[in-house]
Amino acid sequence: MSNAPHILVIDDEPQIQRAMRTILTEKQFRVTTASRGEEGLALAATNEPDLIILDLGLPDMDGVEVCTRLREWTQIPIIVLSVRDSERDKVAALDKGADDYLTKPFGIEELLARVRVALRHSARTQGAQSKVVKAGPLTIDLAWHIVKRGEEEVKLTGNEYKLLAYLASNHGRVLTHQSILTHVWGPADADHTEYLRVYMRQLRKKLEANPERPEYILTEPGIGYRFIADE
Amino acid sequence: MRSSSFLPRFWQHFLSVMLIASITAIFFALRDVLDTTLVALLYLIPLGMITAFWGLGPGITSALITFLTFNFFFIEPYYMLTVHRPTDVVILVVFLIVAVVISQLVGRAQAGLAAATAREREATQLYELSTALTGLHDDHSIAQILAKQVQAVAQGEYVELNIRGTEPFAFQLPKISPPTRPPELIVPIQAARGLLGEIRLWRAEPAISSSERRLLQTFASQGALALERAWLTQAESRAKILEESDRLKSAILSSVSHELRTPLSTIKAAASSLRGKEVGWDSPARADLIGAIDDEADHLNMLVGNLLDMSRIESGALKPKREWNILSEIVGSVFARMKHLAEEHQIEVEVPENLPLVPVDYVQMEQVFTNLVSNSIKYAPAHTVIRVHARVEDESIHVQVSNQGPQVPPEHLERIFDKFYRITAADRVTGTGLGLSICKGIIEAHSGRIWAENVPDGLAFNFTLPLTWDGTRAPQLPMDTETE
Repeated sequence: MSNAPHILVIDDEPQIQRAMRTILTEKQFRVTTASRGEEGLALAATNEPDLIILDLGLPDMDGVEVCTRLREWTQIPIIVLSVRDSERDKVAALDKGADDYLTKPFGIEELLARVRVALRHSARTQGAQSKVVKAGPLTIDLAWHIVKRGEEEVKLTGNEYKLLAYLASNHGRVLTHQSILTHVWGPADADHTEYLRVYMRQLRKKLEANPERPEYILTEPGIGYRFIADE
Repeated sequence: MRSSSFLPRFWQHFLSVMLIASITAIFFALRDVLDTTLVALLYLIPLGMITAFWGLGPGITSALITFLTFNFFFIEPYYMLTVHRPTDVVILVVFLIVAVVISQLVGRAQAGLAAATAREREATQLYELSTALTGLHDDHSIAQILAKQVQAVAQGEYVELNIRGTEPFAFQLPKISPPTRPPELIVPIQAARGLLGEIRLWRAEPAISSSERRLLQTFASQGALALERAWLTQAESRAKILEESDRLKSAILSSVSHELRTPLSTIKAAASSLRGKEVGWDSPARADLIGAIDDEADHLNMLVGNLLDMSRIESGALKPKREWNILSEIVGSVFARMKHLAEEHQIEVEVPENLPLVPVDYVQMEQVFTNLVSNSIKYAPAHTVIRVHARVEDESIHVQVSNQGPQVPPEHLERIFDKFYRITAADRVTGTGLGLSICKGIIEAHSGRIWAENVPDGLAFNFTLPLTWDGTRAPQLPMDTETE
């Protein structure tokens, strides 16, 4: 049991704490809960959990602030929880270093999928990066810069490849518009969401079976994009 | 005297003398023919004209000169300035009286004319002000108009309007820093409600006359009336909004308590039967019940979301976060998410992917499509076609979501976008009755227009969205090059 990943849940709602504790314990995680931001920060420092689930609407301090303070000393993955229509807060938290988000109310499969991705990603950043990402018929070789669909190589432009490589190497995680734009085009173009829209459409046309109903390059409305690879 | 503006005083006197001199010359030439009395009479003509044109001063000068020349040239003994007869004195007095009386009459007429012109100008200015103020309902534009009119009339160096109230502000003309000295004139804007503000005027030269002061006071009271009217209008619309929101709240309460209870009943029933021993661990009923809880929880979530959206639209807090978006991407993601809801209908999407980028809030536009499509799913019979079509029309994009459901009587076509509006009271369809009004709120927040129309085989929802954002179209993208 001591090897089981340790999750710290920071949420002020007793019902959510109870549900999270029950579900996550059932899934063999160790769970600690905190109902206030300061308490959460203290527990994060003393217990060194493997993952933090953080509600953005805390009574004592702003969730984005908690993210910022955690990121001052640790790279523990953080998944933020928030209600619908607070895209601004979610984006702020993600840009301050949160790894992913969930909109309340959420299904348990969604929660577990996010937890898995976040844990895997943190393991990957510590260990060696996987050089080949597979998603359905797609194979993206990040070392050799080769993208294949089935056996056929897909021709991509420079920016298209940079975009896809960034998405694929972070597969499963949500990436905000700003972080993608900064990474691919540079900080000066961080506001040009229209680049993203157009390039994503081109990428989808080259990679997806039905570009209007993408299976691998997903839009996260108001937030950014997420690349779904095989587990 | 207005005549002073035509000729300087000195020249008036000089010309008067010259005129009398030349007339005297003529009379002198005709001295043998003319009777002395007739000459005296004829002298009245230039004297009268001079007085009428140039006023009392030149008139008196002319009267004296006339008397002297008359005496000198026409009364015996000639070439002597001696008065022998009392009648000569009478002639002098007559000349003087004529000059004084005519100048008084003319002066009075001129003053009357000047006053009438001034009054007319004031009336015109007041009329212009009150016309300009008519129909203005906000303090800022009233202050602006008032300041402009004051400046037009007073030609001051600087005019400042201070308006008090909940949000005090000042309006200045011209747009330079004000003079450092105190204003020459301060006129309070006074209304029944109290002091609403003041007009401050800087004008050292020429000094502000009492009639100007009076006119500006009239301006101030016109301004006060306009401000008062604006205040009343605002108060009235506030009252209307309050009344409307009150009505909305009670409608929400009754609709919501009913709508929320339906999914809650399902959840409660399903959860309690799962807890009990009635449903076998592996029975298909168990999966059904769990599915029902899941679906109804989503339904509840949607209802709450709709209510929040509506309250946001009502309070004007719905601000689209615009970005350049691809419409087909939005439509695609909506249908991907609604896949299981739209199973019984045939979906046709005709949104060309080469449409220009549209400046919209992605999440809100998803909401619009979701609401319009789910409305179509609810009302149109199974196995019919739901069609989404978009095309460019001038400077906007025109989107149509049509279904083969029942048509709506023409008189209801507008009202279906009202809150809680249902065509039939006893309706098999559930929902808050907010979906379409949310669409309307969102589209209007994007400066678009939304309407419904009956089409030959059903009903169509149409909306337009501008293709420009702050007057510009979608930007060009930087060039990209192919890799190896």
